[in-house]
Amino acid sequence: MTGTITIDFEGTPVEARAGESLAAALTAHGVNVFRTTRCAAERGLFCGMGVCQDCLVEVDGKPNQRACMTKVDRPLTVRREAHARPLMPAGQGRPPVTIGDVEVRTPELLVIGAGPGGLSAAIAARKAGAEVLVVDERSQAGGQYFKQLSVGPEGISAPDAQHREGAALIETAVGLGIEITSGVTVWGAFEPNEYAATAEGRTLRLLPKAAIIATGAYERGWPVPGWTLPGVMTTGAAQTLWRTARRLPGETVLVAGNGPLNLQLAAELIEGGARVVAVVEAAERPSVTKVGALASMALASPALIRDGLRYHAVRRSGGAAMIYGSIVAGVEKTARGLSVRLLPASGSGEEIRFEVDALCLGYGFEPSNELLRALGCGHDFDPVRRQLVTRRDADGLTDVAGVYALGDCTGLGGARAALAEGVLVGLAAARALGHTTSAGLDAEARRARSHLARHRRFQQALWTLYAALAYSAALATPETLICRCEEVTFGQIEEALGEEMQLIGAVKRRTRVGMGRCQGRYCAPVLDALLAERFGRARDEFTGFAPRVPVKPVAIEDLARLG
Amino acid sequence: MTGAAHPLVGDIDVAVIGGGIVGSCLAGFLAEDGVGVALIDNGRIGGSNANAGSLHVQMQSRFMRLYPQNVPGMERQLPLYPKAVAFWQAMQARLGADFDLKMTGGLMVAESRDQLDFLEIKARRERELGLDVDILDRTALDRIAPYFGPAVVGAEICANEGKLNPLLANAAIRRWVIEKGVVLIEGESAGPVRREQQRFIVETGNGWIKAGRVVLAAASGSKALAAELGVAIPAEPEPLHMNITEAVAPLIGHLIQHADRMITLKQFGTGQIVIGGGWPAHLAGARRHPTVELASLVANATLAQHIVPRIASLRIIRTWAGINTSVDGKGVLGPIGRVPGLFAAIPGDAGYTLGPLSARLVADMMLGRQPNEDVSPFSPDRFEAA
Repeated sequence: MTGTITIDFEGTPVEARAGESLAAALTAHGVNVFRTTRCAAERGLFCGMGVCQDCLVEVDGKPNQRACMTKVDRPLTVRREAHARPLMPAGQGRPPVTIGDVEVRTPELLVIGAGPGGLSAAIAARKAGAEVLVVDERSQAGGQYFKQLSVGPEGISAPDAQHREGAALIETAVGLGIEITSGVTVWGAFEPNEYAATAEGRTLRLLPKAAIIATGAYERGWPVPGWTLPGVMTTGAAQTLWRTARRLPGETVLVAGNGPLNLQLAAELIEGGARVVAVVEAAERPSVTKVGALASMALASPALIRDGLRYHAVRRSGGAAMIYGSIVAGVEKTARGLSVRLLPASGSGEEIRFEVDALCLGYGFEPSNELLRALGCGHDFDPVRRQLVTRRDADGLTDVAGVYALGDCTGLGGARAALAEGVLVGLAAARALGHTTSAGLDAEARRARSHLARHRRFQQALWTLYAALAYSAALATPETLICRCEEVTFGQIEEALGEEMQLIGAVKRRTRVGMGRCQGRYCAPVLDALLAERFGRARDEFTGFAPRVPVKPVAIEDLARLG
Repeated sequence: MTGAAHPLVGDIDVAVIGGGIVGSCLAGFLAEDGVGVALIDNGRIGGSNANAGSLHVQMQSRFMRLYPQNVPGMERQLPLYPKAVAFWQAMQARLGADFDLKMTGGLMVAESRDQLDFLEIKARRERELGLDVDILDRTALDRIAPYFGPAVVGAEICANEGKLNPLLANAAIRRWVIEKGVVLIEGESAGPVRREQQRFIVETGNGWIKAGRVVLAAASGSKALAAELGVAIPAEPEPLHMNITEAVAPLIGHLIQHADRMITLKQFGTGQIVIGGGWPAHLAGARRHPTVELASLVANATLAQHIVPRIASLRIIRTWAGINTSVDGKGVLGPIGRVPGLFAAIPGDAGYTLGPLSARLVADMMLGRQPNEDVSPFSPDRFEAA
């Protein structure tokens, strides 16, 4: 979209770029408080990808809308949201409906998620002759890796190679006759292969013959004092501001976490004009002992190594310090922004402080496996990467018939691996649906298999290089929130554990931890790890919270609105 | 006996199987009287820990419609309901806890003359059985509950009904149970149960427990345990769909039900609105995990906004399957004649409402006291083949 649109925020006009997210427009105008909680705490943009439910605002009278997922495509009237506001009288309501009234789509193959893995799988399956529908929650296809510009092109910096690669992939998909529907939130998955979604305020029931789930990942929480303050956001949220809307999270920014995405973000923000004070990495500075890992990476993916070197050069030119072996230990609100406290990664030692407008946290990812788990697909816990890994066969088929899965939602592997895996899983799904693959496609599959192996080697080496200690609850004080939504503190969790509660479900019901809008996405992994450590047991697919539908909140009126 | 004794308890006076509201209260009552009790719960989501906290008193139209053969049983048990609610209030006071218990009354709404006529007949019968009920036309209804949609023409009000937050109640009762010295064995399945030389052997995943007496307080799960001892208890699980919304300012004070449609609505102190009403769910997979269905979610939630239109803009943030236990309209409470030392504590319909009082009645029988109610209609022996 092009041009500007004036939105009304709390009675003040705000100039937005047509097509950007409401969160981007507000952030660009220095607004970082979007709502207040039950405890009157301020919240703002955090995950930037529709998961955390912290950026809720009222839009045109509609309560609890996610600013990060609301596209500015018309003059909106926006208010800050507050906890438990009264409901306005609403006339008659709509006639009650039954499942038979809900619009049904029956694609041969449904792909959920239009990121690298989903698009690649869709393309492969389509080439083999399958009829494919791709649905994605964001306003534009591309996923978190290939985030596409949603504004411009006037007055903003041009798309880079990563944008262009994504655009080409989307173009290929569309050119092959794949239907890509954006703005579709799949919030329910039911056995055997039934999905419920909301699109433009209406409910859709998707009944494919087979489905490929490629829902990606979201950033892990980092529950330290102050991590819920406005201005503290994930690295991904900041990157979405920049890569989709060419907006900056603040003028002065600190980027902290574990992994290469933080460095990339720092370079992007510097190029966009922000002052990045430092990049703080939990892993130690690469030493001679890690030369092997670096060499494997360079062999597996020289292009990614080149990118890394370029990001470092930009970081240096922008004057951003690189601080290894350190972590964010706490954040406080100050008169002019945020005061961020750093400690050595061990959690003790000399502290360093930075004053910034925005703090970006990127401490790794959790797989978005909610739909898979709701379907009953089996998972195993990987103690090394501290994540659930979906049980799949060589074709990407889960242990539920007709349900395939790939990419980061099955266990983190990165965008490059997902692209390669997509080819294999897409072709396998098409074959299972009765399509035959040509010699050309079989050759493509062989290439993809070798790419996949290469990128897996790269990832393995990468995480050897970036090996860091896991989050430790020692970083929290009794007042630190573990559950952002229900505002449950570590102290309250400790109290429940003091009552001999060993099961996560019991702790949930006792303290309300994980009962909020985000469905426990941030607190569950932390709490699960805490319980496992405390009671000396292994984590598995059942030690976390039981999966619950809807995996994203769904408005009652959207269920009642037909056609 | 296979394997070893349970690490927490090898031999005990009473083993209570099922750590829901009934088993927990019963264990606490027995322990208060100096009885050694082990309370065993498999930790699965099911009855009390998936309960939505309605305190039912008036006869539920859904049960009357679905199980007309059970209506005499329901009527027989009806006088117990207001007493059960009063018992809940006493329990809250005794524990000095906050259950978020509100005696706001319950409304069963009607959308037509026919439905109102049904409520009139039902109310007449309930009044004969001692309930405080009345019929309200729309004008009278609007005075106390000014939020219904135009479809609602009137309602039956039952003054003795209310609601509580089961999360708060269960947590407080659990603390009390621990305080009374009950041995809590959580996350372990109990069974099979065998009788050996005047004692019971309860196998758990973690070893066996010997007990002088055993109480089956596992709702529908009691059926299989009883069957192994040659006892018939026809208790069936009925997985039901529940929804909860995000929080809003106080709007719905009453417990809302419907004369002819499957809908219940109530608002917790948290501001969240709980929507249920008996839409089906199912037990899925090898783990028999209570699992919701899309058809129930759609029908239930859209019916809710038809009854109270202004909740339409709210979002549902979670659904779950609760499990009701259906028997024959009546509870199954007391000693099992065929197996000396074996007791049942299954309240039947509205098990959560009736839970604490039912536990008290069974505890009294086990402690050799005369229960305050006539418990003969609830005898487990009524299922002995005639």
